[in-house]
Amino acid sequence: MAAEEQVELEESRKQEILALDAKVATANHFEFLGVPAGASPDEVRSAFREASRKFHPDKFYGKNLGSFRQRLDRIFKRLVEANQTLTDLEKRDAYLAANPFIRAAARAVSGSNPAYKPEPKTETEEARDLERRNRLARHPYLARATKLQEFVSRAKAHVEKQEYSQAFTNLNNAAQIDPNNAEVKALLIDVRKRADLSRSESSYAHAMEALNRGDTDLAMQALRTAVNANPLNHKAAAKAASLFEKSGDSREATGFAQKAVEAAPTNVEYRVLLARLLEASGMKALAKKHFEEASRLNPDHPEVKKHGKKLWPF
Amino acid sequence: MAAEREPVIGIDLGTTNSVVATVQSGTPVVIRGRSGSNLLPSVVALSKTGKMLVGQIAKRQAITNPTDTVYASKRLIGRKFSAAQTQDALKGLPYTLEVGDHDDIRVKLGDKAYSLPELSAMVLRELKLDAEAHFGRPVKKAIITVPAYFNDGQRQATKDAGRIAGLEVLRIINEPTAAALAYGFGKNVNGKIAVFDLGGGTFDISVMEIGNGVFDVIATGGDTFLGGEDFDNTVINWLAADFQREHNIQLKADRMALQRLKDAAEKAKIELSTAKETQINLPFISTPQGGGSALHLQKTLSREKLEELTAELVARTITHCEQVLTEAKVKPVDLREMILVGGMTRMPRVQEAVKQYFRRDPCKGVHPDEVVALGAAVQAEALTNEAADVVLLDVTPQSLGVAIAGGYVRRLIPKNTTVPTSVTEVFNTSRDNQTTVKIMVLQGEADVAHQNELLGEFILTGLRLAKRGEVEVDVTFEINSEGLVSVSARDKETGQQQSIQVTASGGLTQDELKRILDEQADLMLEARVEEEVKAKRVELKALMNEVSELMPQLQKATQGSEFGQDALAKAKQALETAKVASEATELKRVTDSIDTLTRTVSLFKGVLQRIGH
Repeated sequence: MAAEEQVELEESRKQEILALDAKVATANHFEFLGVPAGASPDEVRSAFREASRKFHPDKFYGKNLGSFRQRLDRIFKRLVEANQTLTDLEKRDAYLAANPFIRAAARAVSGSNPAYKPEPKTETEEARDLERRNRLARHPYLARATKLQEFVSRAKAHVEKQEYSQAFTNLNNAAQIDPNNAEVKALLIDVRKRADLSRSESSYAHAMEALNRGDTDLAMQALRTAVNANPLNHKAAAKAASLFEKSGDSREATGFAQKAVEAAPTNVEYRVLLARLLEASGMKALAKKHFEEASRLNPDHPEVKKHGKKLWPF
Repeated sequence: MAAEREPVIGIDLGTTNSVVATVQSGTPVVIRGRSGSNLLPSVVALSKTGKMLVGQIAKRQAITNPTDTVYASKRLIGRKFSAAQTQDALKGLPYTLEVGDHDDIRVKLGDKAYSLPELSAMVLRELKLDAEAHFGRPVKKAIITVPAYFNDGQRQATKDAGRIAGLEVLRIINEPTAAALAYGFGKNVNGKIAVFDLGGGTFDISVMEIGNGVFDVIATGGDTFLGGEDFDNTVINWLAADFQREHNIQLKADRMALQRLKDAAEKAKIELSTAKETQINLPFISTPQGGGSALHLQKTLSREKLEELTAELVARTITHCEQVLTEAKVKPVDLREMILVGGMTRMPRVQEAVKQYFRRDPCKGVHPDEVVALGAAVQAEALTNEAADVVLLDVTPQSLGVAIAGGYVRRLIPKNTTVPTSVTEVFNTSRDNQTTVKIMVLQGEADVAHQNELLGEFILTGLRLAKRGEVEVDVTFEINSEGLVSVSARDKETGQQQSIQVTASGGLTQDELKRILDEQADLMLEARVEEEVKAKRVELKALMNEVSELMPQLQKATQGSEFGQDALAKAKQALETAKVASEATELKRVTDSIDTLTRTVSLFKGVLQRIGH
């Protein structure tokens, strides 16, 4: 659409402008200036000058450019920003630190120079580095990155202390700063899992405690929570199944028993429990299948034997 | 073709002198004034008979009319009345200043108070007339230079002056940058250069890199209250102090005496650039109050003494140089050339100091008084002529920021950023249910808000009700190619847009500007040109008649010959063109047609004579 606009521009220049304008939002500073990642400030500056010869708004003074006027403005301002950032050493460091991918690319380029070996740093240099890092951390460019790192490290500390909900909050904050950060994403999944596991365990403990006090209702509720939080918590599932069996709710009991068996397929007790419940509710064929599985797992189990006799058709 | 283009001019609107230049067939040239001089004194006066005088004649009558003669108005343009610099300047000025409606400065001439843009416009109009006399047609488009260190308010006021003078100001550019343009234009210069510009009122130092027609300013700095006027003032003070010691009379309190001292001081200073010693003679400078014979002032000023008096001023220029070179991360040895601009750089002591600091002889190829106007003309050409391969990457001389809590400044665009540029900053509400946000825009380098120049303040209203910090407003600060600042704001959530032109709080408002423009409908010159066109049209019609009469005769005489047919065809064509031209309003087309027809007539007559009719 824009390409067909009638403006006082040569076709080739129009295409150049459109191509560069498309890069305004996506390209990094090096790419935008058309220099290799990690190009020196001098290279950056001369690239900027070359680009200015083409795209400085003054080059099109008083011309009818239509929508291209805005595009040019955008392009030139972005060029200025890129030049300003990459030629000022402090800003450049901050920019590279905030964009580790560019830094890595820059390293890969400069890494091809095997002669370069960093000198070991003296104590004062180390101190100065630390001071500089601290100063950089306050720089607006880095503030985001610093903040993100802060959230992540706080989250990790909380994970260590098993305070998963706090860890979760911190990670959520981090994700808001940079939703695409892979580390944060992975941590979030991990923490969610761990938080579920720990909740499941604590609910189970809670349930046992309630059971000791004789509060069966609360215990059943807690066990349900434990199983929901972690479907693999077979202890909780089995316990819930037997409690529901006792209370006469065979449907719930069967459900939990099923979960327990799924979580721990090799446990004979669970199989037997499930089989018994199924049998009681009239699902003979299924029950038989589970009894057979149980007998295959442990033919010496007393209940299996008992049932085996009963079911044995011959 | 080049001549067909509308003429554009470059104007160096100086503190003491102004110059106008243009680019003619690829070369920048200074346009000589109608009075025969290249320099027009930037002086405006109201004569005793009530006439407005501009330039040399205004300067000449200054001694007898000190209270109604305005010089060095550039030092006050765009400033606030309450500013410390204004109050300082007030003490040394023979003319009367008044405070305007919004803390701006007005100059009282007769019974009317003039704003500074109006006064500068009178100088600009004079230069415009000079240019029109040169081109023989109206000149509308101009570039005006300002000291690099001018802030937004001063730039805006200068632009207003241009508009009042009836000029379309294509661009405001920086004087040192203009000087570099003039220096580097048409030469294949590559490398870093420094421009040291010590003019009548201001000092600028800029470091830039030139390569392939790109003029890239790296850093710029200066002082808008350091120039030739200050050198004159040290001499005036020295003379006045001496006189007081001797006769116990305050010469500076007497406006007429002050004006004479000023003239004498400037003259002595200029003479000491070439001579070792000069006499200052001011007979009858004062009469003692109790009667008695008139007193005369007679002093000898040596170059040494002048250098001693002004040593501090010279040292200040070097301090600025050091600072700007540090900012540019350039050492004096890295520089390829050092350009001196401004009349004050003729002073031997200044040249020595510069030589000592930069460790090189300054460039000899540029004329310190004219180079800025020439550069402005180059830039005007570059903007209006595609073929000119020049790009100017100028920078903003001062940082732009906003006032934040505690009276501090948050800097958003640092000084020496290439313009045009913009930055977007998010502002939050700081109270629950806050519906307005006030943003104060500041220019300057001080960390404390009130020590910077307040460009303006604006209030964002109608923010939605929400908890503190929840409403986020995107504020975009923009500096355009002229160093002028604009601000726009947008509520992030609702997208509600607000745009604010930061108008300097001390300048003319839009309404005032409009009123001034209306008042003085600047049609006089155009009317004059129109009359000229009318007269030429009459001449053209007479010629057309003559050619039409000659044509049948010629046809008879040259019957059938090839040459005759050819000549007749051409003559017919010329007549056609002339017919169109006779309706045209442009002087150029009419005169061109007259030329063609005159040639045709003389050709016809020549042919007829030879054939023997």
